Amino acid sequence: MKAVVLAAGKGRRLWPLTENRPKPMIPVANRPILEHVIDALDGAAVDEVILVVGSNRERIQNYFQDGQDWELDISYVVQEQQLGTGHALLQAEAQIGDSFIAMNGDRIIDAALIERVWDRHQETGDPVLSVTRVEEPSRYGVVELDGEMVSSLEEKPLPQLTTSEYINTGVYAFEPDIFAAIRQTEGTGEQALTDTLTRYIDDQRLRAVTYRGMWLDVSEPWDLLEMNDSLIAYEGPSGTDPARVDDSAVVAEAAIVGEGVSVHPQAAVLRGVTLGDNVSVGPGVVLENAVILSDVTLKAGAVVTDCIVGANTTIGPNTTVEGGSTDVVLNERVYHDVTFGGLLGDNVDVGGNVTITPGSIVGNDAHIGSAALVSGRIDDSTHVERG
Amino acid sequence: MCGITGYIGTEPAGRIVHQGLKNLEYRGYDSAGIALAGETVSVYKTEGEVDELPVPAQNDVACGIGHTRWSTHGEPTETNAHPHTDCSGDVAVVHNGIIENYEELKAALRDQHIFKSDTDTEVIPHLIENHLADDVSLLTAVQRTTAQLEGSFAIAVTAAGHDGVVVAREDSPLLVGHGENATFIGSDATAFIEHTDQVTYLESGDIARLTREDIEIYNAGEPVTREIETLEWDAEAAGKSGYEHYMLKEIHEQPRALRQAISGRIDELATSVDLDIDLPAEYLRSIEEIQIVACGTSYHAGLYAKELLEAHAGVRVTVHIASEYEFGGDRDPWRTMVVAITQSGETADTLSALRNAKRAGARTLAVTNTLGSTVTRDADDTVFIRAGPEIGVAATKTFVSQVATATLLTVHLGQVRQSITSQTTTELLESLRDLPGAVQQILDREATIKDAAETYADSESFFYIGRQAGYPVALESALKLKEISYDHAEGFAAGELKHGPLALVTPETPVIALLTNASAAEKTLNNVNEVESRGAPVIGVTSDPAATSHVDTTFDIPECGPLEPVVANVALQLFAYYVADAKDRAIDKPRNLAKSVTVE
Repeated sequence: MKAVVLAAGKGRRLWPLTENRPKPMIPVANRPILEHVIDALDGAAVDEVILVVGSNRERIQNYFQDGQDWELDISYVVQEQQLGTGHALLQAEAQIGDSFIAMNGDRIIDAALIERVWDRHQETGDPVLSVTRVEEPSRYGVVELDGEMVSSLEEKPLPQLTTSEYINTGVYAFEPDIFAAIRQTEGTGEQALTDTLTRYIDDQRLRAVTYRGMWLDVSEPWDLLEMNDSLIAYEGPSGTDPARVDDSAVVAEAAIVGEGVSVHPQAAVLRGVTLGDNVSVGPGVVLENAVILSDVTLKAGAVVTDCIVGANTTIGPNTTVEGGSTDVVLNERVYHDVTFGGLLGDNVDVGGNVTITPGSIVGNDAHIGSAALVSGRIDDSTHVERG
Repeated sequence: MCGITGYIGTEPAGRIVHQGLKNLEYRGYDSAGIALAGETVSVYKTEGEVDELPVPAQNDVACGIGHTRWSTHGEPTETNAHPHTDCSGDVAVVHNGIIENYEELKAALRDQHIFKSDTDTEVIPHLIENHLADDVSLLTAVQRTTAQLEGSFAIAVTAAGHDGVVVAREDSPLLVGHGENATFIGSDATAFIEHTDQVTYLESGDIARLTREDIEIYNAGEPVTREIETLEWDAEAAGKSGYEHYMLKEIHEQPRALRQAISGRIDELATSVDLDIDLPAEYLRSIEEIQIVACGTSYHAGLYAKELLEAHAGVRVTVHIASEYEFGGDRDPWRTMVVAITQSGETADTLSALRNAKRAGARTLAVTNTLGSTVTRDADDTVFIRAGPEIGVAATKTFVSQVATATLLTVHLGQVRQSITSQTTTELLESLRDLPGAVQQILDREATIKDAAETYADSESFFYIGRQAGYPVALESALKLKEISYDHAEGFAAGELKHGPLALVTPETPVIALLTNASAAEKTLNNVNEVESRGAPVIGVTSDPAATSHVDTTFDIPECGPLEPVVANVALQLFAYYVADAKDRAIDKPRNLAKSVTVE
């Protein structure tokens, strides 16, 4: 069975991490989100995956190649411009001759979800989507049900306008006739897949299966820390290469360590930490609840808590990301009391004795001079000096 | 060089052999052909690429051999394409290598045999025809034939009415793949890697009779056994994964290749390296000179290695173009180590230089990308660069991995010889560790390089200048451009410009200047001024914001210590790629070139 996975979206809310990589390639528990998706597809007996890729597609292609490591046949189609999910799916039309699974590449789910959607589609021949309950449904596509049939589908409705707790998980099973339906959908600019599904709803053909398993979505940066922490617990720790960890350093059970990592004397890598490949953890560094991407250098005495650190970033000696809860303003919205020490982009050069206050977001290639105090949002390539 | 493949099994052989040729196409693509052998032998040939050769429609034959050719003797025509047959058309032969005595053999055969082609190969089927007339087995006929041949060869032979295929190897590479109910033949494992990872490497002098389930190997007439080995590479790594060209895919694989090159070899805590070199420490301490032998891109990596080794390993280093190499000058072979750098491990010029050094009594070390390749057997010890398979004819990731490996070797030798300071060790190892991330940043800035490439694509000539470690990178970057864009490009030591090449500089010839760390950028800036006053546009590759005011276009690269010129090379690989792409060149298969050259 074939699956089309939409992985062309840019995911602007996770700036600056999504400047250099598509959202599905952001690592959680040291593996890209998309790899968790591919694993679920593999577990559901999918044998051929068509990835719809767009901006920064090289990152996806380099990582997954032709799928041999997953014993899957992986091929790529390119969505040159971001013209909506319907348009993205349409790019795969030439590869599809029969019923297939379509899903998003940036949400982590279980194989069971895919199997249930597929089975129901096989039993009925109708298009099927799946729904799950979440705390804040109005952040997603809210689905109203009449028995098993979908009676409405509304993207991010005002909370007062809906009573349903069900949201669309973004996993579908379709017949190839979906492509004609997408083309016939009148669009204003973007072709959203959900607009096309409204037609099926009008014909009373769109079915939903309800699902209570794992469904993890990263909308805001701090979601990444939470997802990382829960997946480490779920998947268990990876083996650490003992030769690269000094005897006097501590690496917690609930931490994942990539290849070629060095942990110097007296360093502590505590709960909820993942270290990407080729990371150097200097003497006396303390890390807790942190996602550290590949090629990062943490110099002596740095303390990094509740924080995401982009690839190839250097954090100077005795620099502190203090962590903890704070109110964060992001994209014109205030989020109260989130645990978020900060997010540093790729290739950031942070000097010694810098303090990064909770909720800070630092753009790619920024330079933070020694002893600076950082707060709020710092743009790409900015130079910040102690003032 | 050429590529050989073959299949003996149960499926229609035409399709499988054809696919094998596609996989081997990087070894040569002037012409291609297939012979299918059952009760009769049918031959299908074409001039040009494998794609021009239709998959044989014949579905009832499960035994076949194929060949993709890169011309050495005779033009790339359909007549000269392999397989070659005897007068009866019952014996078909594919051949990689050169038969040195073919003219005498041909003269002797000419009275009784009709020759159709200009190739050296064609003598082989006619010789076999003569021996088969004595009513011997195909194996015996091939044994008798190879005894008459001089030169280097890998051949595969089928004959009507004889079961299976007989292969023979003398220097040129050849291996056998063992599948379920099938046996495969390849010049390298790429030919059949999607079918099996179980292989037997034949050794020089081996002649083997292959059937669907069996392999009998003879050497000097005696039966021998050769081990079956499991390949570590898989077919996945040889696909294009959505990229337009292998070259672009391989450029993008560099951060990963570099992490592999250093993975497990650096102990950051102890600031030491482990290269798994068996050469004894006493020997490494005693050597007075290292001679590096290599060709093409590997030669440039050798020049970079010289910069590092002379500065930090306290040893005199000379770098030799392999085809020009002789062990001479009254050197003491006991105090000379010869290092052969070859991506494929099969480069004939390099192997021949290595053998020359061995005969003189020097110890040898191979630096290669290919497990099980000839150089790994010939040299006393081997260090692998671990870049993964490289298919694009223009070498990219293997260059950076060769330099990374040379850096590790420098630290190792420096420590053994106690010539390197701990500060320099830390600096080199940090630079190595920073390299993957720095290269990734170049890839993230691809769009700006592409824009510049399109701006300058129509220039008359391109000159690359650099000093110190920037000099080999200037040579390598110029080679990349000329290989794939067919533009005239030259690399010069920056100081040499005023001694001649400056006469070539005009407003139509952009000059690309390496203004990085470890390349004496301040001095090169003087040379930038020289060319600018002749009106030439200058592209500066630099991590120093101050340098940008001296140049017209800047390729801004991240700081990366002594290996910063390697980062610059990646930017210039992309520049070459996009200049060639703007001209719509056949980037993975540049005209007249082949991936690894197994003829001298």
